[in-house]
Amino acid sequence: MGAAPQASPDQRVAEFRKTFSRAEQEVGRVIVGHQDVIRKLLTALFSGGHILIEGVPGLGKTLMCKAAADTLGLSFKRIQFTPDLMPSDIIGTQVLTESDGHREFQFKPGPIFAHVVLGDEINRATPKTQSAVLEAMEEHQVTVFGLTYRLDPPYIVLATQNPIELEGTYPLPEAQMDRFLFKVVMGSPKPEELREILARTTGTRAHQIEAIFKPATAAHEIETLKGLVREVMVAEPLERYIIAVIGACTPGGPGAIPEVSQYLRFGPSPRGAQAIILSAKVNALLAGRVSVSYEDIDDAVVPCLRHRLLRNFQAEAENVSTESILEQVHKRLKRPRA
Amino acid sequence: MPNPVEILGRARNRIARVAAIRAGAYALAPAIVAVILALGLTPIGQATWMRWGYILAPERAAMLREILLAIAAGALAAGGIFAIRAHRRALDFVAAAQRVDDAMRAHEEILTFAALADPDLAESQKTARSPLFPLLWRHAIGLLERFDPIKTFPLAIGRPLARSSMIAGALAAVMIIAAMGLVRPPTREQAIANRLREIAREIEATSNDPTDRAIAGEARAAADALENRSLPPLQKEKKLKQAMRDIKQQKKQSESGNKKGAGAGAGSQATKGNGKGQSQGSDKGTGTGPGGKDKSSQPGSGSGKSQQGKNSGSNNQQGKQGKQSKDSSAELQKELAKAQAQVETDAKNSPKPDAKKPGDDTKPGNAPKSGGNPDKSGTTPNPDSARPGSVPTASANVHKNVPPTGGAQAGAKDFGSNQGDTHLGETPAAANYQRYLKPGEKGAALDIHDARYVMFRLPNAAVIGAGGKTVIDSNRPTASTAYVNAPLKETTDQSAPDERQLVPPRYRDLIH
Repeated sequence: MGAAPQASPDQRVAEFRKTFSRAEQEVGRVIVGHQDVIRKLLTALFSGGHILIEGVPGLGKTLMCKAAADTLGLSFKRIQFTPDLMPSDIIGTQVLTESDGHREFQFKPGPIFAHVVLGDEINRATPKTQSAVLEAMEEHQVTVFGLTYRLDPPYIVLATQNPIELEGTYPLPEAQMDRFLFKVVMGSPKPEELREILARTTGTRAHQIEAIFKPATAAHEIETLKGLVREVMVAEPLERYIIAVIGACTPGGPGAIPEVSQYLRFGPSPRGAQAIILSAKVNALLAGRVSVSYEDIDDAVVPCLRHRLLRNFQAEAENVSTESILEQVHKRLKRPRA
Repeated sequence: MPNPVEILGRARNRIARVAAIRAGAYALAPAIVAVILALGLTPIGQATWMRWGYILAPERAAMLREILLAIAAGALAAGGIFAIRAHRRALDFVAAAQRVDDAMRAHEEILTFAALADPDLAESQKTARSPLFPLLWRHAIGLLERFDPIKTFPLAIGRPLARSSMIAGALAAVMIIAAMGLVRPPTREQAIANRLREIAREIEATSNDPTDRAIAGEARAAADALENRSLPPLQKEKKLKQAMRDIKQQKKQSESGNKKGAGAGAGSQATKGNGKGQSQGSDKGTGTGPGGKDKSSQPGSGSGKSQQGKNSGSNNQQGKQGKQSKDSSAELQKELAKAQAQVETDAKNSPKPDAKKPGDDTKPGNAPKSGGNPDKSGTTPNPDSARPGSVPTASANVHKNVPPTGGAQAGAKDFGSNQGDTHLGETPAAANYQRYLKPGEKGAALDIHDARYVMFRLPNAAVIGAGGKTVIDSNRPTASTAYVNAPLKETTDQSAPDERQLVPPRYRDLIH
């Protein structure tokens, strides 16, 4: 499985589409509905980003992440964030071991050392513990007792957060939110979907996931596909469009719309523009193209920017969501035309 | 295999051409309308004269024509500039590709291709292309295979022309209103000149005879002379007389020729048998009616064959024309006589040569006449001297002890009205005045009971001491800074208090 390095561009693009489609199908065998969330999860994985999933308990967030890791043949670890969770519980610690009469400290890696790491209810941990994940997410490395340990690529953190129980939680700081490529919101299943969930989970038949890649080669195959994503071309007018979107979402920025100036404290960082381009490139490949279109960009704007906009007091008081602000930006912003 | 870069290049050229034509089309209709109006000013002037009796003076018509032609030239120049600018703008390769992309619904594949394959791109940028570029090239070929620039980008100048027509309509309306505003009731001279031209046109329309045409030409020349302002009345009169003489002479010649034709050459086929034109029933076409323009001076043989059927018809028609021509000629003479009378009247009313400006005497060719120069002493009365307000003599002023008034200094004097001599706006000249005595000064008593003005001058000096010495008054209090009446700043805020206090949902339960 997988495209050889000397494969033609056609074959590489076809291979990417085939892999992505199979992964969607496999995850869809255990997760009913939520096709959009599954697509975003896989997009983040092939873009090399992390994803924050928000939804009430019981929707299958954890199962979805595990299914995605199993499908792609990647290692998977789950961390349940609690208020008493310590950073060393995540990244690992030095343990005194004895061998051949010698005692020495040996590093025992934590659960963060995996390809796919699920941080369940990440907003329950203290900021100190949350920040321990920061270095791993951005630098793909951890430092313990002055020693730096690389995290094997591909590396993706899938964090979930529960929006309803706010007492005893520590909302993620803006700096940490910015490190997630996407924030996706999982809604409640539709009646038909719920019926299907019941049928699958309460019967005797269990769905088995068939891995696309072998664990030994999975990392390499996925890195190759991630390289293909980076090769997708973006024309200069489209880059200007993305810059215009970022400018329109920044209070006081060039082309900021009135709603942005009224309801936002801060706009997206350059990471927001990077996230839009990367996810737009994945969208283009999935459409069989090797160049990004305006539709690909528009499709990526809301999941990439919704968690990067910091609302002000008035927006919170009037219950104005970032999604509605982004919708206004999309309506007001005109694509550059000749 | 088609080259997508070449196809896009052709599309770019097509887009540029269409853009240039569309931009130029905006100026086309106003230019055409301006030219048509400029050319149609003469018929418009004639129509206003014929229908409503108003004329568009030739100099005004010329001015309007120049304006219209300038507008046309300006519109064409602007259209050209816009076209060049539009062409230059549309020559952008990537922008053209974007339009092609939109037209082909290519999901920005052609746009991206053009951005990476732009012929103007630096070589270093071309080598740094993505490995996927060949695939994009193939996609672009697939999309552009069925692309036809002419069909995709039609000329479609309907919209620019429609907008241009609106501008042209507005221009036409404005210029027609302007032309209507410039037509005036004619002066008597203009009316006669127009009538002469009208008669000339009638003559030309009804007759092909060279003599008639010559008469029409004379009438036109007379009309032009009559309207020519630079021509002195005497010369006008002379020209009119000449025209009348010529017309009479030609008429006489015509009549004598007619008589000869009637007596000696009756029945000649060359006859123009105006008048009755009856030649039926006889080989000798009689055709001798009282034709005015009968030019049959050549005697006919009278042996004509039976062509009366034809001759009667043509002679009849020619007879009508001849009658019209005769009427026109008579009317022409009448109008010329009127014109002459008018010129004579004008000549009488116009100032005589001896009332010219003094400088005119020195002009070469004009011998100075006695009394013509007002600077010279002579018996010629100055017409202005009889007017009220003339400069009084010095003796009169001395006797009256009042400043002089009137004459050249009269300013806004109201001579003709019954409002009295108000002297509004005048500043009296200080002459022959008496002044009050200074302290210590001795002199005759002041007698101002006949004075018309009393002027006061406020002293800027004060008298110090008993000796009556005057010095500058330095004790007068003066302000060091200018007084400023500045209003005090408002200290109270009159705006209503903000009663709506917004509280985020998560804090609402905490506030009671």
